[in-house]
Amino acid sequence: MADEHGGRFRFPWSSSAQRILKREPASGPGDWREVLRSRLFVCAGLFVLWTVSIEARLVYLQVIEHADLMARANRQQLRTVKLPAKRGEIVDRKGRVLAYSVDADTIVADPTEVEDPRIVATRVCAALDHCTSQQRQVMAERLASDQHFAYLARQVSPEEARKVKELDLPGVGLYKESRRYYPKKELAAHVLGYVGVDNVGLAGLESTFDARIRGREGKMLLQTDARRHAMSSREERLPTAGDGLELTIDEYLQFIADRELRNGVAENGASGGTAIILQPYTGEILALANWPAFNPNAFNASDVVARRNRAVQDLYEPGSTFKIVTASAAVEERLIRTVDQIDCSPGYITFGSRVIRDTHEYGVLPFIDVIAKSSNVGAIKVGMRVGPDRLSQYISRFGFGQTLASDFRGENAGMVYSADRLDPSALASVSMGYQVGVTPLQMATAVAAIANGGEVVEPHVVRAFIRGGHREEVPRNVVRRAIAPETAATVTEIMEAVVERGTAKSFAQIDGYTVAGKTGTASKVVNNHYSKSDYNASFVGFVPSRKPAIVIVVVIDSPHAGSYYGAVVSAPVFKRIAEATLRHLGIGPTLNAPPPVIVARHDGSPEDMAARPIVALSSAKAVASAPAGVMPDLRGLSARDAIRALMQLGLMPRIDGDGVVVEQSPRAGDALARGDSCVLKLGRRPPPAAGGIEQ
Amino acid sequence: MSAIDFEYAIKKDVRNNPIVREIDQARQRQLLETAVIVGFLSLVILFSAWQRFALLGHGYEMQRMQRERAEQEEINRHLRLEIETLRSPARVEHIATKQLHLVAPTRDQAIILERVTPSAPPEKSIVAAR
Repeated sequence: MADEHGGRFRFPWSSSAQRILKREPASGPGDWREVLRSRLFVCAGLFVLWTVSIEARLVYLQVIEHADLMARANRQQLRTVKLPAKRGEIVDRKGRVLAYSVDADTIVADPTEVEDPRIVATRVCAALDHCTSQQRQVMAERLASDQHFAYLARQVSPEEARKVKELDLPGVGLYKESRRYYPKKELAAHVLGYVGVDNVGLAGLESTFDARIRGREGKMLLQTDARRHAMSSREERLPTAGDGLELTIDEYLQFIADRELRNGVAENGASGGTAIILQPYTGEILALANWPAFNPNAFNASDVVARRNRAVQDLYEPGSTFKIVTASAAVEERLIRTVDQIDCSPGYITFGSRVIRDTHEYGVLPFIDVIAKSSNVGAIKVGMRVGPDRLSQYISRFGFGQTLASDFRGENAGMVYSADRLDPSALASVSMGYQVGVTPLQMATAVAAIANGGEVVEPHVVRAFIRGGHREEVPRNVVRRAIAPETAATVTEIMEAVVERGTAKSFAQIDGYTVAGKTGTASKVVNNHYSKSDYNASFVGFVPSRKPAIVIVVVIDSPHAGSYYGAVVSAPVFKRIAEATLRHLGIGPTLNAPPPVIVARHDGSPEDMAARPIVALSSAKAVASAPAGVMPDLRGLSARDAIRALMQLGLMPRIDGDGVVVEQSPRAGDALARGDSCVLKLGRRPPPAAGGIEQ
Repeated sequence: MSAIDFEYAIKKDVRNNPIVREIDQARQRQLLETAVIVGFLSLVILFSAWQRFALLGHGYEMQRMQRERAEQEEINRHLRLEIETLRSPARVEHIATKQLHLVAPTRDQAIILERVTPSAPPEKSIVAAR
């Protein structure tokens, strides 16, 4: 090509291109080739132009505008979804659920997509169960805003959510939120507290341990298509569930305490009350009840007063129950013995113009009866012997005037005078439980110290934390020793006298059990004066007194239906709670106890249960028909009937196996001596009919 | 087209019927190779596209299953909540006393079995004092 054009390089299509540019027609027989070549040239040029423009666009999009477009794509395609962490569940000491979280629907809207806010608000409101006109108005206002997001109703019921969904309103949707539920409603409400709509604990344990229970929310990256449907997801951070709490509360005992307290308040026309069941050795709170109570599922609907945890937040003057502290100080300091005589005549004592009276004129009483009969004069004289310094010291040792339980946020420390402010009149008041403010929990803790031999054990309601299936137990915490074990034993004896022959004689005795307790009746301060009509009636005690299992304190606020004395008002509540608790805990009688039932472990093989002739169970007639002093034939009886029969005869049953009695020792007809033991062998099938067994 | 060209096209007697074009083996081979390569590339592209669409489909399916699983778990939680609500002592007592007319056992009706592991005995000094 270069040769044809004088050694100058030319492209093969150069001539064609020139001709096209000059608009010259092709000529000669081979011109069609030129035409083809020129057209190809045009096509190639267009193709190159197209390619270059595309490449340029690509460079522009992928290099110059890369960052902006990526950000825009991420905004459109990727959604970061928060994965809410479930709050840890709260269970009682036997694993029964007291607080639990489930998802609930929240109704939300994009106000910019709503055409008529008023109509939409009306329709949504109509779908909700309890929607007031005020709420509807608020909804309409929110829908009228120019924001892109608005809450209409939070955490509604599944039924309400379904109704709203069926409305299919443009711009209105549902959103899942975690909601806290308390399936037992009022049960232990003051202990558990409650949670706000933002999943933050606002009171009780929910608030105290909020940081641990709440957990940590996760984050998920969701890739969506043009229709906002999720295509794929990636969990950036997994949600961490909150710690679970295992409480010392026993659901059944809590129910008993709630029920009996409520009945006690109603029977006595009182304005409120508190009852606590405490284990004296461990400090575990088995039940903590307050009345009035509230439903934490709808805490907003309750009164503020009802939400107060009176057991730890409200102070009261304990009255005569505080004489236990005075007595403990006097005994510990060896200032007095239980038999020492104290002159309580003439039934009153004066401090300047102030006169303090006893309810009766007791004359001379032994110290034990001063407490048992709750003589104010006697207690004051004992308090005088102790003196302000030592009495203050013992008040502090028992834990009054200081917070004790870290599980309760907002616990009241109480109010006690320092020793230098205790003039004789104030000392007299403190000796009989006035001019000192305590919480019911402090009083229960002090009495628990007497019950357990003198140690003040921190009362607590959290037994263990559960994290990822691992149980972290809360250890028992002994705060200090308040009194010596010997002193505790002496004070126990004094408190037993209160129930045996003192102020609580007819009200707190429990058949079969020794009970130690103390009554208290304290006038309430109304308008800076002691009221003549409003009293705090209280009773605190433990049972069985010689081997204490539970401490119970009952405080009834302002009883107005008759008597206002602690013995009459609070002691019966104590008794009913104690009886049910002893039965529930399986604590046998301590007075005239029946012989224990000893049950052997049964490891019988299935062969033992091989089919034998089935014989109808015998009745207890055989027992009744046996001559006195002779062993009856118990074969064929159920274990329950056999034990009952042996207990009637004063025999100690020993049981081996399951089912009905198939063998017995001594044999039927043998002579008996009271207190003997009888071994009963049980089987799944009764033996073939024999003499003495009815078919 | 000039007049001469036109004349040439009409008048020239071209007798090429007996001429048979010789098959170009090399070209045939080249064509076959090209076809195989194009076919292979097409298959690769199709496989890649299928893979991508299948991945997309599985993504949707996985999301659906995850949503379903979350729903089932939530139903499970709701059912557990319902069970716990039904187990409320207040409700049980109400049914027991009002519907079934049951009463709490008295002391005589209850036999307490001694616990196997007794709690620690009190200190000797306390026992002595008592």
